[in-house]
Amino acid sequence: MNRVVKVMRMQLANRWIFIGIPLIILAASFLLTLIIWSFIPNDGGVRISGGSQAVMWYFFALGIQSLTLTFPFSQGLSITRRTFFLGTLSLFSLIALITAVTYWLLGLVEQGTGGWGVGGSFFALDWIADGPWYQPIAFYFAVMMALFLIGFWSATIYKRWQATGLLIVGISVALALVGTLYVIGSRNAWPEVGAFLGSQTQLAVAGWFAVLALAPCRRFVPHPASGRALVGSAVKWNRPRHAESVPLPTLLHRIP
Amino acid sequence: MSTVIEVTDVTKTYRKSEALRGVTLALQPDRIYGLLGRNGAGKTTLMSILTAQGFASSGEVRVFGEHPYENERVLNRICFIRESQKYPDSFTAEHAFKSAALFFANWSQELADRLVTDFQLPLRRNIKKLSRGQLSAVGVIIGLASRAELTFFDEPYLGLDAVARQLFYDRLVEDYSRHPRTVVLSSHLIDEVANLLEHVIVIDQGRIIMDDDAETIRGSAFTVVGSAEKVRTFLGGREVVHSDNFASLASVTALGTLNESETREAAELGLELAPVSLQQLIVRKTMSASPASSGAADRPLSEVAR
Amino acid sequence: MLIDNGRPIFLQIAERIESDIIDGTLAEESQVPSTNEFAAFYRINPATAAKGVNRLVDDRILYKQRGIGMFVSTGARAVLMQRRREEFFDQYVQPLAREARKLGIEPDELADMIRQGEHAIQGGTQ
Repeated sequence: MNRVVKVMRMQLANRWIFIGIPLIILAASFLLTLIIWSFIPNDGGVRISGGSQAVMWYFFALGIQSLTLTFPFSQGLSITRRTFFLGTLSLFSLIALITAVTYWLLGLVEQGTGGWGVGGSFFALDWIADGPWYQPIAFYFAVMMALFLIGFWSATIYKRWQATGLLIVGISVALALVGTLYVIGSRNAWPEVGAFLGSQTQLAVAGWFAVLALAPCRRFVPHPASGRALVGSAVKWNRPRHAESVPLPTLLHRIP
Repeated sequence: MSTVIEVTDVTKTYRKSEALRGVTLALQPDRIYGLLGRNGAGKTTLMSILTAQGFASSGEVRVFGEHPYENERVLNRICFIRESQKYPDSFTAEHAFKSAALFFANWSQELADRLVTDFQLPLRRNIKKLSRGQLSAVGVIIGLASRAELTFFDEPYLGLDAVARQLFYDRLVEDYSRHPRTVVLSSHLIDEVANLLEHVIVIDQGRIIMDDDAETIRGSAFTVVGSAEKVRTFLGGREVVHSDNFASLASVTALGTLNESETREAAELGLELAPVSLQQLIVRKTMSASPASSGAADRPLSEVAR
Repeated sequence: MLIDNGRPIFLQIAERIESDIIDGTLAEESQVPSTNEFAAFYRINPATAAKGVNRLVDDRILYKQRGIGMFVSTGARAVLMQRRREEFFDQYVQPLAREARKLGIEPDELADMIRQGEHAIQGGTQ
């Protein structure tokens, strides 16, 4: 059996974590929403719930845990970093895809039943569910992957450079955001930005999430072949000879 | 037979300290090696580098003839469960064993099952709720049942009581006899493991200070006790590794072996001769090899000396 | 402790087997435990046990039969007895005489004591 598949099976050794608990969270948040809807009087309008994101945040936590705990265990089993990363990413993609399809299907049911008979909107949220079938699937998939990978990368940065590293990255991201806002504000560009955001399709937003999630893989952490790392060349890194061919984010190489 | 591990002039520097200094080693297949030394001597650092879990600052590392880093061909044949091995919070011991079974080609479920019974390990209890000793047992079981060609045990006995430790040693000897492989056992409980070892590597403050067959080391020193003057005459120019004085008496540990006539001479001088155990010799050597460690004098012997 | 930590273990293993042959525990032409059995019993490294056993094979005290195991050679006991007798003087008589002199025990007195000791052992075994 392929070792990447074995990593997926290892991650699934306790099926509750990746399958059971997400299902329970989804069912619970949905039931809770239905109960709440039944309490508030129906004025004929659409009732929107954000409950469907509960599962996604759970995946953010899973992203953190799979690096802080499962990664060290995988090292004890002599699994290479590359195999661990690919296996974990594959499992995650699979689950994100299944969840996204489930959301889309339940969204269809929701629309077909007039919002579960009470005009509710849980899965088929406005705008997300508009358009062809692949748009909501791509959107949900991208959001889940982004959350998982952001959790994964944050934990990686934390493991490599401790709290300081996380702080530096956090502050940098915040500064970049503030800087962007300042530039937009100082140029009175808000109307244009609004128009730009309004014109985004679900697919485009999914794309943006993908860029966000994969950024550490490609852009802001260079390829290992360059031999340099995120917070720079302060720490020298002796690149192992055969590592040129390793398509793996530098960050993962550097965790001791 | 080809060398399993080849380390050439490896150093490891942390921001302020040197964990390994110019370590050069060669390990042969199908032997039990003891990697001995005090806590913090560099044992875990060295094993991490050999298993590509850590990185050397400089020097060459070859395992099964190749660099181990991200190298599946090499890593497939290695098992290294750390002393403070982490397991996923959601796991039970059973999950850990099932995962290990996926990755170790020689995994013996039969042996694992037997060890679980031996150690009375609760299989279905969450790993977070296991005692320190039970957690160590999980690591010991993975290490033994993996039957990996190259297995590292990093102070595997933390929290295990004397009975459980003996069990580990017994099972190790037993399974190793039937399935020879290269085992590196790191420990500071030298007396306990001494008899299991074929080869001994002693590391002190990041340096290798002893690298020899256990049997060679065992016969390599002796202690003489008697009147200080006579002891001095008897020893002549022999290399002394340690001496204690009490009133006019001296107890001196010296290197070398004694032939029959020398033994007789000692008896005639009224001197007592005593063999030196591996542990005693290592304690003496690690103390004499570290004159710079006067700062450590307030904790001169730690557990090793006892 | 079965094994004395300060001396090479393979020597101790060889000596133990020799003693067993001398006192008849291991009869001539009887099978000797395997090195793995020695290793497990004394809790020592199998290679060390093998070294001890091989020393006796080299001395022709034991002989190997391929695929079956190891056996005590015929005549091994006599050879070992002779060897131990030669060592007896150095190992036991000299220290005894030295200690006796220290305590002012005359040689005749010492000889008497040895005879008494012999009687005591005979009395004890009857």
